[in-house]
Amino acid sequence: MKVEISRRRFLQGSVALSVVGGTTLSATNILANAKNKSQNALMKKVPTVCEMCVNKCAAIAQVRNGIVTKLDPNPYFPKSRNMLCARGAAGIHALYDPDRLKYPLIRTGERGDGKYRRATWDEAYAFIEDKLTKILDEEKDNRSCIGYCAGEGMAEHTFKSFMADKFGSANFLNHSSICLQTAVSGFTLTIGGYGQADLENAKYVIMAGANRAEAILTPDTMDLFKRTRGRGTKLVVVDPRFTNTAMHADTYVAIKPGTDLAFVLALTYVALIDQVYNRAYVAKNFVDFDKYKKHIIESEYTPEWAEKITGVSADTICKIAHDFMAAAPQAVYYQGRRTTWSKNDFQLRRAMALFTALGGGIDVKGGIVFGKSLPLGEHTINAPMYAQAKPRIDRDLAAIVGATGTWVGWRNMVAEGKSPYPIRGMFVYKQNPMLSVPNTAKTKQMFEKMDLVVVIDTMPSDTAMMADVILPECTYLEREDPVRMFPGIEPAIVLREKVIEPMYETKPVIEIMHGLAVKLTKPLWEITKKYDDDVKDELEATPEDEFFEDGGFNLAEPFEHTQEELNKHMFVSKHGEEAWTLLREKGVYYPNMMTYFKKINNNTYECYPKDKKFYSVLKLEEKYDPETFLHDTCVNPADIADLKRSFNTPNKKVECYLGSLEAKGVDAMPKWRDEDYVTVPAGKFKFITGRHAQFTQNSTMNNIMLLELMRENYIWINDKEAEKLGIGFGDTVEVTSKVGQVHIKAYPTPKIVPGAVFYIHGFGAKSEGLTFAHRNGASDNEIIEDTIEPVHGCANMHDTLVSLRRV
Amino acid sequence: MNYAMALDYQNCINCKACEVACKEENGVQLGADKQRIWIGVVEGTIFGKPFANLYPSQCNHCIDAPCVNVCPTNASHFAEGGIVKVYAEKCILCKGCMEACPYDARFVDDTMVAVDKCTFCDHRIGEMGTTACQATCPTKVRTFGDLDDENSDLVKLLKTKRFFFQKEASGTLPKLFYILPDDLAYAKQSVSANTIIHTWEDIKPVYDAARSRRSKEWKR
Repeated sequence: MKVEISRRRFLQGSVALSVVGGTTLSATNILANAKNKSQNALMKKVPTVCEMCVNKCAAIAQVRNGIVTKLDPNPYFPKSRNMLCARGAAGIHALYDPDRLKYPLIRTGERGDGKYRRATWDEAYAFIEDKLTKILDEEKDNRSCIGYCAGEGMAEHTFKSFMADKFGSANFLNHSSICLQTAVSGFTLTIGGYGQADLENAKYVIMAGANRAEAILTPDTMDLFKRTRGRGTKLVVVDPRFTNTAMHADTYVAIKPGTDLAFVLALTYVALIDQVYNRAYVAKNFVDFDKYKKHIIESEYTPEWAEKITGVSADTICKIAHDFMAAAPQAVYYQGRRTTWSKNDFQLRRAMALFTALGGGIDVKGGIVFGKSLPLGEHTINAPMYAQAKPRIDRDLAAIVGATGTWVGWRNMVAEGKSPYPIRGMFVYKQNPMLSVPNTAKTKQMFEKMDLVVVIDTMPSDTAMMADVILPECTYLEREDPVRMFPGIEPAIVLREKVIEPMYETKPVIEIMHGLAVKLTKPLWEITKKYDDDVKDELEATPEDEFFEDGGFNLAEPFEHTQEELNKHMFVSKHGEEAWTLLREKGVYYPNMMTYFKKINNNTYECYPKDKKFYSVLKLEEKYDPETFLHDTCVNPADIADLKRSFNTPNKKVECYLGSLEAKGVDAMPKWRDEDYVTVPAGKFKFITGRHAQFTQNSTMNNIMLLELMRENYIWINDKEAEKLGIGFGDTVEVTSKVGQVHIKAYPTPKIVPGAVFYIHGFGAKSEGLTFAHRNGASDNEIIEDTIEPVHGCANMHDTLVSLRRV
Repeated sequence: MNYAMALDYQNCINCKACEVACKEENGVQLGADKQRIWIGVVEGTIFGKPFANLYPSQCNHCIDAPCVNVCPTNASHFAEGGIVKVYAEKCILCKGCMEACPYDARFVDDTMVAVDKCTFCDHRIGEMGTTACQATCPTKVRTFGDLDDENSDLVKLLKTKRFFFQKEASGTLPKLFYILPDDLAYAKQSVSANTIIHTWEDIKPVYDAARSRRSKEWKR
């Protein structure tokens, strides 16, 4: 809702305006009354969607005289549960950060030294055009010689559709392989989807490695911590660190890093040997269960075996397995998100999914559920075919390298000169690989080899300092982004509206792509005509103008409409004009929203009535339509779902044995391999990394409001070990691994297991453009080794050994 | 109106959303010692096992507020609903109130050249119904409300729970009600043996009496 009224009117009748209050007086009424009032102190409220992390919480921005003064939670969005965390509330300081990139910049010094000159947009585009045409001419129109990467965000796809669909490069990288790819894939190949843990109803939750108090995930964080300590959920936290999540646990289990798989296998062993698993559910919904049972039992994954590996007592393992199965199916071995930890991560996630499934907690209320989607229209892009474009370079580095690649593997190929064809340049959007990809020295080496590096960002990050051209994007509060649907128990569609006009000379990425496309279309078309035999053949039969348009070679074509127009098209085609008005007013839409939505009190809002939520959705029929089932009063869908489910896997069942992967050298069933485990020799420590609730990776590191809460990071070391090494609180410690060395202050604490050290990701920037973040603490990726796991080529974040020395 | 707040402190995850929302809402000066609202952390080990307790806190808006009592210029005063506030223009920075406050809830704001503190967001409760800290909280620790209103969310909650105060012995009749966790083990871990546990029935007459004694000073 965008309402402009005078301050006086606002104070008089402000309750009426309150979105939180859910009042009935419409915005147009207020507008009518406000017409004749004074126009100074213009006040408006604009619904937006937070971009301070990946959760996309709905927020309402208060704007006074064109200045954003406050961000409040928007209660209409079920996923964000009417809250805005510290980062969300501090979003204003991302907008008004004095260090923001304000104008296009062209490098004048050496790569990395931070010397740039201010340029106009046209100069910047011309510079890119000049370099790019030269490179593509030399590479004979092999579009894949330009790599590109994008950080997660609502406009990631806009950038990607230019680079992949229009420009035509195959070498795309995003966060997946340094993030949760193994987790998503492990769960999807086993139970048909990553799903959503229904923490509002689960009775028993094992949270291993995940840290929902500090790595906030909506709605999980909100749901879980209102139900701990005897209020509905038994929480078991398994972690090498006593985190803020562990603080809320009924049972905290300290585990050696990298041994989670042994822990899960032992739980599975206990459940199978003691026959406490959900036999009815398994009989109906598992395939190859006997193979799995035989494998677990014959491999002798006993609690006593696991105790030696994990450091968790056999008694504890037995108790947890029994308690879990007693609470099942309302029992969840929480999926976790995070990163890949070690080489066996894919198998770990499979074992976790199978353990939850053994209790029957998949696709049931209180277990892992899949929820429902809402439709959104599409707009098609006419993608040209380039005969000269080669496939991505990193396909053979792991069993399954997907379209998002293996960041570490790809980067190493380029840095080490092992690429089958030269990678001459890179377009970076909203990602900061200098801080986010393990082994920073190699990332720097990669950029130094390139002839053209273009960075699109809001901040002068360490990666921006590697660029030849920096294109300043506006922040999320200055742009409308693609409308987005969130499936789940309570599905909804959210819209990020532009709160204020872009500041300085910044632009939203869709406009940047348009400007670049207009500039590049003709010169790149000339190169394609020169080298592409298919195009040459076509042009013999077809007039050039016609083939150029029909073949999709006009690169600017998908970016010619505004984001508002595109959103309207995508939304109205499925939900109609009336819903569109509602979406723009509230920032959120789902069917029946205005009748379902209820305020219970200041802390609680009900978005969907209890009986309208989508818990169990996988039904008997393979091609079933949830709509007809859920609204057919003659059939109780819950009864059908209880009989037999249809999982989204090849066998339509929970998959114990993945024969197709075996052919690619991946274990068909989760198996502990001693040789994959990195043991910690005396005098060394295993380095682990993680997050906390005040910063999002490295993207919020210069936010002055958040730096108030934490100025720098400290290395956690077990207090007894620190004493032996003579390390006290605040002492500077030199941390050395095979790939790098950092200096950081020490935090000796009993909250971490011996043999491991930890510090938070997202600190230690070296870019001098970041006044506040510059050299605060240390960056984890300077010391994390660049090894990858064998299934998807994801970075092993917890397999690095370090030595410590007080300096 | 007699504004107060209940805190289900066991929900707190130390995310500090409340601290940031407060600073943004009220334009609180930046700096480590400039806090209208904070989260107290107590941690240690019991037989070698780590534990931690979190106590989100802010000004208690005491009925017998010592900061108001000691203020030589009447800068510290009771606003509507018993909210303790400061007239910046009357403040002479003698800092007597900062000394008097048992909760260390006051600090000097260098931009106003006056003592600053929590106001229970009295500028926004009319419009938004509650304070910025309650509205933004992910795990909904706080319930702000009116002790005079038997049907308010606050009183309804206090009638069903037991609760305690921080530093009750200071005798200031504070109005942050800490909800005692139902889980006895956690209650024992997070509440000192000397802390007095109250119910609505036992506290209501005491607070009502104090209210009628002091509310003459409240601005309307």
